[in-house]
Amino acid sequence: MPHSKSLLQAGALAALFCLPVFSAQAQETFVVSNWGYSNDFYEPFIFEPFEKEHNVRIVTETGGAPERLNKARIRGGVDVILLTDKFSQIGINQGAFETIDSSKLSNFDELYDAAKNPQGEYGPAYTFGRYGIVYDKTRTDTPITSWCDLWRDDFAGAIAMPAFNTTGGPLTVMMAGKCAGSDAFEDPDTAFAKMAELKPNIVKTFSSGSELTNLLSTGEAFIGLAQDYAFPAIQAANPNIGWAELSEGDFRMMNTYNIPKNAKHKELALAFIDCSISMQAQKDAAIELVSGSGPVNKTVELTPEQASQLVYGEKAVLSMQPTPYDKLLDVNDDWERRWNEVFGR
Amino acid sequence: MSSRVSIVQRLSALGPWLLVLPATAVLLFILIIPVAGTLAESFSNPAGLFANYRDFFADSYNRTVMVRSFRIAFLSTLTALILGFGGAYMIANSSQGLKRVLLILSVFPLLTSVVVRSFSFMAILGRNGVVNTALMKLGIISEPLEMLFTQGAVIAGLAYLFTPLMILSLVGVLENIEDDLYLAAGSLGAAPVAVFFQVTLPLAVPGMIVGSVLVFTGSLATFVTPTLLGGEPQMTLATLLYQKAMISIDWGVANTIAAIMMGTAIFCVVVLGTIAGRISARRAVH
Repeated sequence: MPHSKSLLQAGALAALFCLPVFSAQAQETFVVSNWGYSNDFYEPFIFEPFEKEHNVRIVTETGGAPERLNKARIRGGVDVILLTDKFSQIGINQGAFETIDSSKLSNFDELYDAAKNPQGEYGPAYTFGRYGIVYDKTRTDTPITSWCDLWRDDFAGAIAMPAFNTTGGPLTVMMAGKCAGSDAFEDPDTAFAKMAELKPNIVKTFSSGSELTNLLSTGEAFIGLAQDYAFPAIQAANPNIGWAELSEGDFRMMNTYNIPKNAKHKELALAFIDCSISMQAQKDAAIELVSGSGPVNKTVELTPEQASQLVYGEKAVLSMQPTPYDKLLDVNDDWERRWNEVFGR
Repeated sequence: MSSRVSIVQRLSALGPWLLVLPATAVLLFILIIPVAGTLAESFSNPAGLFANYRDFFADSYNRTVMVRSFRIAFLSTLTALILGFGGAYMIANSSQGLKRVLLILSVFPLLTSVVVRSFSFMAILGRNGVVNTALMKLGIISEPLEMLFTQGAVIAGLAYLFTPLMILSLVGVLENIEDDLYLAAGSLGAAPVAVFFQVTLPLAVPGMIVGSVLVFTGSLATFVTPTLLGGEPQMTLATLLYQKAMISIDWGVANTIAAIMMGTAIFCVVVLGTIAGRISARRAVH
């Protein structure tokens, strides 16, 4: 009898431990592919409310944009993917994403036009960022007011520039073309001749934001071509560094949502995107994530302090130069070869 | 009954093979299949079996990167060999207690991440780094020297990274040289320099070869140090491979580079292994 009692106890205990497992397994799993750094924000502000509302369990897949895109395309198992516009354009060109019916997004009309369908019907953007010039304002008497200032003689060995294969690399070539009075797409010879003139001013080409921060904080460089998501770390390392006000404007960078063709929960993915572009989610992201998270929803209202490091408001959005990734990807191989001729020898 | 005995006998004869079967299966899945896949992919261009290789070698930039990679790997190996030999010689000839301390100190950097060790070199060679600051304070230079982001910086960084491996390879070999040989050489009138070149150095060759293979293949394969200390003008095969695979998503070129690097590493191991074998055989005959 005591034997059967202990068996009963053991059974009850096992059932107690197994119950949550079974109930968790019964829930649908929704996979979000995202950079790791922003998941801390997403967890309380977007994931938890979404899980409760739709009775799903969100699982994240983290990593850099190219590797996540590759995994989602080849292996599948991702329901919604967050990418920079460069890599979402690569995915679109590879036929990796579904088109999205915008009429199913209740918050779609609240978005700035630039964010609605930046790459066709493949999904809205969810943040605005910018690519421009940062510099140590104590190291030059004449402020930087134009992209063409990068070619100034007094900036010899002073500039940290992104490598060609980064998001910002090819944009510098576009500006070189403009500064030489031509269009880099039409006349790459002139643009790259101008890039060659820039070479003496380049101390290092970098591949990541942390590398740029290091170069600027150690004084190896005092001018950097940067995306705004890296700016707080740069300024923390060297408070003298500020953002240059450029007459041509910064480049507009966007992060986008896309639904892979092989996604399991496409309707749920639409609901997730809709939730993430809502006024409240966008406001929370702008306040919590700060730099690089300019809201795409035009109904978001921020205090001047909250907006100080963001692309915020219609004027800021319209003053930036668009980044034509479809055109850039078309010329990628030719420009890469030319770039290597200039900087890789 | 006899058939049962024969099955047991057969199984026991297979015993060693059955024991290594799990490890072989694991190796097959995690090492051989991916490597074979990479090799197969490098030949799977619709334009032809060797189209990827033809395209790769047709680009003069790729050839430049390849030659540069081998030059950097060779010079790093040479530097690590010189520094490592000195270190290992000192360790091998120390007292037992000091030997332990020196060995721990020389292996200690291996416990730190490659990224941290490469960044530390930036702090040493940088414009405001330790070397420039010291030289300027001593009045030897008035302007900081441009040491960072040069080929010299990459070689120095790689040598620093891999010298512990060279030391480990050499210490055991140097320790095993019997003292009688030194005594015999000395009693025959050999000066210390002659003893070093005619006794120590020839007997240390197997260790030097093992260490050189480790440092050369390691220097060829690492991409963090060339990226941080060299940048784009010092692009190496490993850096190019990383860029093609992880940024450009150009798997054709990435697989080709991987296959070339693998082939080079195997070639080095085979050639240097053969040399080491011949030296050992010659010594055995003598």
